[in-house]
Amino acid sequence: MNTKLTWSVLAAVLAFGGPALAHHGVAEYDMTKTTTLKGTVTAFEWANPHAMVYLDVKTESGIEKWQAETNSPNLLARAGWTRNSLKPGDQITVIGHTSKKGTKLMRMVKIVFADGRVLNPGG
Amino acid sequence: MSSHGLKKALIAAAIATAMAPCAPAHVAPSQAAQSSATKAHAAGSVPDLSGVWMGHSTTFTFDPNNRKFEKPDETPMTPEAAAAFKALRARNAVDHYATDPTLSCAPPGYPRLLLYHFPFEILQLPDRVVMIFEFQHFVREIFTDGRKHPPDLDPTYMGNAIGHWDGDTLVVDTIGFNDKTWLDQVGHPHSDALHLTERIRRLDAKTLEDNISIDDPKTFTHPWTGRQIYDLKPTWTIAEYICEDTDELQRVPDKSKE
Repeated sequence: MNTKLTWSVLAAVLAFGGPALAHHGVAEYDMTKTTTLKGTVTAFEWANPHAMVYLDVKTESGIEKWQAETNSPNLLARAGWTRNSLKPGDQITVIGHTSKKGTKLMRMVKIVFADGRVLNPGG
Repeated sequence: MSSHGLKKALIAAAIATAMAPCAPAHVAPSQAAQSSATKAHAAGSVPDLSGVWMGHSTTFTFDPNNRKFEKPDETPMTPEAAAAFKALRARNAVDHYATDPTLSCAPPGYPRLLLYHFPFEILQLPDRVVMIFEFQHFVREIFTDGRKHPPDLDPTYMGNAIGHWDGDTLVVDTIGFNDKTWLDQVGHPHSDALHLTERIRRLDAKTLEDNISIDDPKTFTHPWTGRQIYDLKPTWTIAEYICEDTDELQRVPDKSKE
């Protein structure tokens, strides 16, 4: 993991007032409903214990900065992901469970690319 | 070496061992037990638990009726343990980084390692069963050569495990735990008096069952039993997981720099 990249990404997210960066168990998320967001990938952290996708979501009022948390890369690799599965600039739709605290953080269910390809984090 | 290659090597070694002459009846008990364990393993008369195994369902606590800890807690804690658990849960809700020792890379220990969303591998040797856990790369050895627990055990995170075969089941007896770990993912306590009895067997080619009896008179008013199911992952190999290099740890403030 590139430590410099991690810190520059974290600094960028904090500067824009991103949600608190913390380990979240499933209890953090509203598992009873899913939310669908369309946006542009700004960063993809391929790191244990949870890979994280950062995306800019365009709304009427401007750009919202979201994070979608998912499984360990150890498990993602077994579901066909690599560290290059998502790159800054990728246009994606993310489906997931949002944080109960109302922050812009979700637990990813799956990702769909503009061309219809699906990324499933597996079990 | 791939796990398939390892299995082939082990079978070859076991066949070579089976060709050796039988041990005479009058040798010391541990030697006789070791020979018969070796012979039994070579003859294929002990079950084969080997493989890479992954938890079948998300489990945060060993109570099979409350796996995700979504219902009121029925774990039979003593009043003191219950009070300590309640206080811990309150602290954990405020700051789980400061409360859960594994979030600053302390070892989860056993049996908590059974509950992670990461696989473990079972390797079988003539005198021991070895469990390699992907999470934080812990290794557990269950000696099946008839030895007893050493006297005067130094308390450890993983405990001292001995086992014997009972039909299709590996019966494992583990003592010698320290009290530095959570029993499970929600923080139930345990003491150094923890005594685990597990009955581990293959339900079918692709399913492993671990009936785990938790006996800790300093924490629980009576022994209670959990049941964990694991699915075989034939194409998986154990990957690296270095806690000290996780993104999460980098997010924990380094108190030495304050």
